[in-house]
Amino acid sequence: MNGMRTLLAGASTLALLAGPALAGEFVEWQDDGGAIIKLSPEYDSAEIRLSAEDLGGLFGPDELPFEGDEITVLTLDSGPKGGISGPLYAFRPVFEELSGASVDIALVPISELYTKIFLDLRNGTGEYDGMIVGAFMYGDLIDGNYILPIDDWRESGDFPAWSYDVMPDSLRNIYTWDGVGYGVLNDADGQVLYYRRDLLTDPEHQAAFKAEYGYDIPVPPDTLQHLRDIAAYFDGKNFDDNDAEPDSGVVLHLKVREQGLYHFMTLATSFAVTPGELSETQGVYWFNPTDMTPLINSPGHVKALEYLKDLAQFGPDAQVSWSLGEAWDYFLRGKAVFNFSYGDVAPLAQDETRSNIRGKIGSTILPASDTYWDMNQEEFITTDEPRKVGNVTGGSWHGTVSVLSDAPEATYAFWSLMATKPISKWLATYGWNGVDPGYDYQFLEPVGEAKLEDYLAAGWDETDVKEYLAAYYENFNAETMLPYLRITGTQEYYDILDSNLSAAMSGAKTPQDALDDTAAAWQQVTDRLGREKQLEAYQKAIGWQG
Amino acid sequence: MRWTSSIRNLFLMPAVVWVLVFTIFPLGYSLYAAFHTVTSETVVNRMEVPRLDKEGNPVLRSDGTPRMKTEVVRETVTNWEFVGLGNFARLFTDKVLHEAIKVTAIFVGVGLAVQMTLGLALALLFNRNMPGRSLLRTIMILPIFATPVAAGYLFFTIFYEEGGPLGWTGIPWLSSPHWALVSVIIVDIWQWTPFCFLVFLAALQGIPDELMEAAKLDTNSSWSTFRNIVLPLMMPTIVIVLLLRFAEAMKVFDIVASLTVGGPGNATQSLSYLAFRTGLRFFDVGYASAIAYTLLALVMVVVTILFKRIRTIYA
Amino acid sequence: MTDSLCWLLAIAVTLVFFFPLYWAVSTSLRNPADTFTVTGIGIPFINFTPTLDNFRTELSTPEGFRALRTSLFVSISATLLALGLGMPAAYALARFRFWSNADITVWFLSQRVLPPVATLIPFYIVFRNIGLLDTPWALILINTTFVLPFVVVIMRQTFLDLPVELEESAMVDGASYFGAFLRIALPLAAPAAAATAMIIFAFTWNEFLFSSSLGITQTKMMPAHMAGAVDTRGIQFWFMATRALIAMVPPVLLALLAQRYIVRGLTLGAVKG
Repeated sequence: MNGMRTLLAGASTLALLAGPALAGEFVEWQDDGGAIIKLSPEYDSAEIRLSAEDLGGLFGPDELPFEGDEITVLTLDSGPKGGISGPLYAFRPVFEELSGASVDIALVPISELYTKIFLDLRNGTGEYDGMIVGAFMYGDLIDGNYILPIDDWRESGDFPAWSYDVMPDSLRNIYTWDGVGYGVLNDADGQVLYYRRDLLTDPEHQAAFKAEYGYDIPVPPDTLQHLRDIAAYFDGKNFDDNDAEPDSGVVLHLKVREQGLYHFMTLATSFAVTPGELSETQGVYWFNPTDMTPLINSPGHVKALEYLKDLAQFGPDAQVSWSLGEAWDYFLRGKAVFNFSYGDVAPLAQDETRSNIRGKIGSTILPASDTYWDMNQEEFITTDEPRKVGNVTGGSWHGTVSVLSDAPEATYAFWSLMATKPISKWLATYGWNGVDPGYDYQFLEPVGEAKLEDYLAAGWDETDVKEYLAAYYENFNAETMLPYLRITGTQEYYDILDSNLSAAMSGAKTPQDALDDTAAAWQQVTDRLGREKQLEAYQKAIGWQG
Repeated sequence: MRWTSSIRNLFLMPAVVWVLVFTIFPLGYSLYAAFHTVTSETVVNRMEVPRLDKEGNPVLRSDGTPRMKTEVVRETVTNWEFVGLGNFARLFTDKVLHEAIKVTAIFVGVGLAVQMTLGLALALLFNRNMPGRSLLRTIMILPIFATPVAAGYLFFTIFYEEGGPLGWTGIPWLSSPHWALVSVIIVDIWQWTPFCFLVFLAALQGIPDELMEAAKLDTNSSWSTFRNIVLPLMMPTIVIVLLLRFAEAMKVFDIVASLTVGGPGNATQSLSYLAFRTGLRFFDVGYASAIAYTLLALVMVVVTILFKRIRTIYA
Repeated sequence: MTDSLCWLLAIAVTLVFFFPLYWAVSTSLRNPADTFTVTGIGIPFINFTPTLDNFRTELSTPEGFRALRTSLFVSISATLLALGLGMPAAYALARFRFWSNADITVWFLSQRVLPPVATLIPFYIVFRNIGLLDTPWALILINTTFVLPFVVVIMRQTFLDLPVELEESAMVDGASYFGAFLRIALPLAAPAAAATAMIIFAFTWNEFLFSSSLGITQTKMMPAHMAGAVDTRGIQFWFMATRALIAMVPPVLLALLAQRYIVRGLTLGAVKG
């Protein structure tokens, strides 16, 4: 993404000199009522064909349905070519030409997004008509009645067309609340395991590994325990010849308050969730669904944290202070065998200006632990067939409409334009925009509708993209999912867990102490926010019937 | 002699009124909040009204019905639930807060000690005639003008442990809880030692040469000159610099936010950063206010003592 | 110690303090891919091939210029306002007797001490209600309040150090209090005022928390703009370094212009007479 940004710097200067847009510059109407959308040279002058159905009833060659509306949308700040905010810039001129509305894009750094949104909503300011939100904010957004349901608009046929049906249930659940749609389709976040296919399939390493550990390297790794052995085997060897320094078995992003806790959340699922129908002891991860007692310090969770700590020793010490960018950079430079992270990594690996691992990056659903804590029997169970657990860890950043907006229709129309199938498909094909694949038409045939050629044309290595899309398909459609926490105060619960995890990973606390402290602090938060209310929201969030 | 006149108020009052106007409401608000649990809810009424075009005529759909748009009437209601000393009681049991107090105390204690000593030593060093002195001095004071937020990010790359410019030390600059605090302090030292240096240098150059010459005749030891002549003369300056730096350092926020985000764990979370996150991330406004007032009380005690000291110096 | 040893030591210390800025320059000249791969002290042309792309990108976006303009407007206005309000007050506290001059001074300073979170939410509410949210005016008013204590404390000390006899003899010659202040005390205190102006300008220029919370979309200042170099993937160090350097230009230029005054002005009462 960043190599491309640099290349495009010159182009953007030219675009500025070219002056204001001319009418008809971004939209070319077709006889059948459809239109070809033309992006500016900054975005490779890409052209995307939308049918009349895609566009919806309001728009047309002689229509400016939102003429005079001025909307302000809030998003993460990654700039005009960055993740999440990039598409807003790319499609703003298109939307303005289609609708007659004007769009102001307000940018905030990710660390301030939550504060900005809620400072505005809680005080009734109404500066923003729409916000790009993370799915973990829903508890607070719904609790305060801060965002508008969108189903009526979506079903009216007036607006650009998209559907929740293309989403796997796991994603659909976090875009909706209690069956009602609030979020407009955009990003799909989840973590998968990336590994170095070239190294794991290298005959020399395979033989040496077998001599040391007594079994063949499973490709891709099948359990977390095997993953640990492989990481241990490779750690300290100089397997990449780009520099003279020894390389690492794994690289993690563990920086506090920078999404570091997601590693643990994802990984702990297969250690801590007891299989079976949802009950007080089965299928639950965060709290006891009858009284909100935290489960976060259960023996399964503690074991998961001990595992993570054990695994982290095969990575660079500095990763405790690393956020996504630094860890990805390390992995892309070829200095680690494993990284488990978001869908951005494989696309970024295709950019050879900053990646040494194009054609070498394997992807798979995160392996599971062969041992888990059974809450019924209150003991650890070892199984031959560990359950692979999927996750929708992360923000799955997407547009919502503020209840304070005085132009909600125009705001919704802007979000939904970018959710139409042709555009959403185009976005997932290119790595720079941070919109990661998760929908039917983004996956390859036969499970999806996408064609391999589209991805190859965008510069992908064939094996890389096949494994990548297959891993995400399996992840989002896994039978067992990590339950997504979406209750009021999630931000605070997360933060408490996050700082305690970081304390454990940096050696300031033992895993047991860290999780015990987390549980105790969670109890206080629950009491402060109202146990009854929290319980009700939690039950709703996990689909508890009682 | 001190003058007395009613005209004195014309000099003083604009500033006093200004500060009062701009602080009395926030202070009152926070104090009130400290005794409450604050929640807010927004009541929104939405009305469908016909959409008008530029001439004020309703816009029609293709079927002839008017297009509608939404008008929003909203009202935010803040609920104050009185909790007495509840927020203050939490101060005593909150482990995270206690850690933040410790972090802030170390940051201020160590940071200021180094800045004052180093600033003074550098001022003495630069108070000699040497080639290119004003160029060196100019370079020395540049860090004062660096934006603290940016300084934090900048030092992140300097403290980068995998081959950064300080990588050869093998020190876990940011990944160890103890070293991370040291790193935060180093950034503050880098930024503010030049300020101390600058003021001390100015003070040193204000000492008349005759005084220094006379002192040198009395004793051969430069230490004793420093101890008996220079230091006492500079004492008021030192105390004021200490005071200004203390007030700033106690609420360190930017460097923490950008360099370490308070981590690893909560190892570098300052009181101010904690209060900020409590109030504006968790919207626990009452408790955040209680923390803020505690911090204010602590600082005021120290500041008052320091000012007493100034008065004794002048007396 | 001999003079030449001292000289070498001074150069060494200066280099240490300069290094981070040098590092910013070095980082700003790198391609993103080189951010962490350059070893040693990152000398352009020797350790990596430098590029001006980051500056080119940064200077081609209107947001950067808008932030610079806002920052200049807010900082200059707040500095002038604070000097205008603070110097008479400082003079009064140095020359007249109030019920307790020291306590009033401490009271001024206490504004500086207040943890920002105690005032941020109420300020937000006030400015929203009077319609100043997201305007430079809100930032000017707030920053003036925050830097006023500096003016009062530093300038009071300066006025205390000035010999009162000059003003008294002026008044014997018929000058008013204002005349004595304007024509006698102020010119003598000018170096200190210049130095104070520099420092409060830098404070306003660099203030982050309020400028990022109260300036929302239209009124971004440089520090908030810099924080924008952090995205979902972490920090874009190359832009950060570039923006940090661009942001330093105005205050550093001012400092260079005012440097004679700074060293003469900031004695803060070290020596009387």
